[in-house]
Amino acid sequence: MSVLEFYEVHRAYRKGADVLHGLTFSVERGQVVGLLGRNGAGKTTLLRVAMGMLAPQHGRVRVFDLDPRAQAVEVKRRIGYVAEDQALPAFLTVGEVVDLHRALYPTWDQALAGELAERFGLERREKIGRLSRGQARQVALLCAVSHRPELLLLDEPAGGLDPVARREFLETAIRLLNEAGTTIVFSSHYMSDVERLAERVVMIHEGRLFLDSDLDSLRESFSLVLVPPGEGVDRRRLLLVDGCIGVREREDALHAVFRLPPERARAALDQALGARGANCRTIALEEMFIELVGGRS
Amino acid sequence: MLIVVDPHSGVPVYRQLMDQIRLHVASGLVGPGDELPSTRTLSAQLGVNPMTVSKAYGLLEREQVLERRPGRPLTVATRDDAHGREDRRALLRESLVAPATLARQLGLARADALDLFASLLADDAESEKPGASPDRADPSGEDER
Repeated sequence: MSVLEFYEVHRAYRKGADVLHGLTFSVERGQVVGLLGRNGAGKTTLLRVAMGMLAPQHGRVRVFDLDPRAQAVEVKRRIGYVAEDQALPAFLTVGEVVDLHRALYPTWDQALAGELAERFGLERREKIGRLSRGQARQVALLCAVSHRPELLLLDEPAGGLDPVARREFLETAIRLLNEAGTTIVFSSHYMSDVERLAERVVMIHEGRLFLDSDLDSLRESFSLVLVPPGEGVDRRRLLLVDGCIGVREREDALHAVFRLPPERARAALDQALGARGANCRTIALEEMFIELVGGRS
Repeated sequence: MLIVVDPHSGVPVYRQLMDQIRLHVASGLVGPGDELPSTRTLSAQLGVNPMTVSKAYGLLEREQVLERRPGRPLTVATRDDAHGREDRRALLRESLVAPATLARQLGLARADALDLFASLLADDAESEKPGASPDRADPSGEDER
């Protein structure tokens, strides 16, 4: 059964700016999905739709096969969510915020909450308003995971965290995976976190699903091809080569992404254009993202 | 067993794990019967998804580099010598592909390239002689003072 399902989800804002244009994908139990996209691509909106905070104007969203707006309480009890700009009340103490969450969730695991508080170095008596941005996010994370949710939705969880805190965040997520096989959907601009944690990446561009792939096959079956100017190849001809899914014109060379492993990209290129000076190689996620999304708009 | 993950390399993390474990086994750093860390331990230690670790372990089991007996932890499998030699050759071959391509691109004569490789092999043998590697770190770890 899918834990999370988006079907043709469409959402525009009142001013008329479309954010999601008919997005369809689903997430299976136990999957860890990295949500990628530039700022404004629609990631936050998508997660808010999943949380039932926004209703899709067309299409359908299901969480545990339930409607997150009609069955809001049941759905929310089984989800953990950290918003991008989580605003916890500044006048409360850490202990008060944690107690509030504990009261809301029947499945709250106080031992886990205590352990995380200790690990993050959080003091119960400290006022939220006096915490650093990183510590405030750690409080939000603690509150999002201590009821041991079946689905964890994290919007830029590492935003504003220093490297040590980011690593702790990652390790907390890994621990949940190890202990409970929690399903996780997280958006991030930190590609190294995505590479470590995600098994699948969903790339959103301008409100549309741009790429949806298992991360391992992404790395194994895509390549970056650099064609130097001397080869007499232009962007248009390159785009027509089998397997080519995007070309960016840069000063040094044409940068093309192929949905083929490097050896096969070279073969396709040789056959179509005979561009022998081209350089074909594997592509890391960050480069792939820049090459595919950077060349547009 | 020291394993490191480079999340920025284009190589999938499970491949990185497999390559390093294979190297540790082939070089004799770990031997038959030695236990591997559990999926959980290794994933926590490296900060990677546990599914990735179990994928690497599973594939290495299939290749019979590792073995799992019922109710026992995952261990390094016993390999006969012929197999071990084959493994070591395969590992070396893989990392020689890039230098071979480079040699062709540079237009080096075959004999030149082979000469270079032979001289590197000789240097290596040199530095492995006892007393020939003075720069090895103090194993007591007290060289910080």
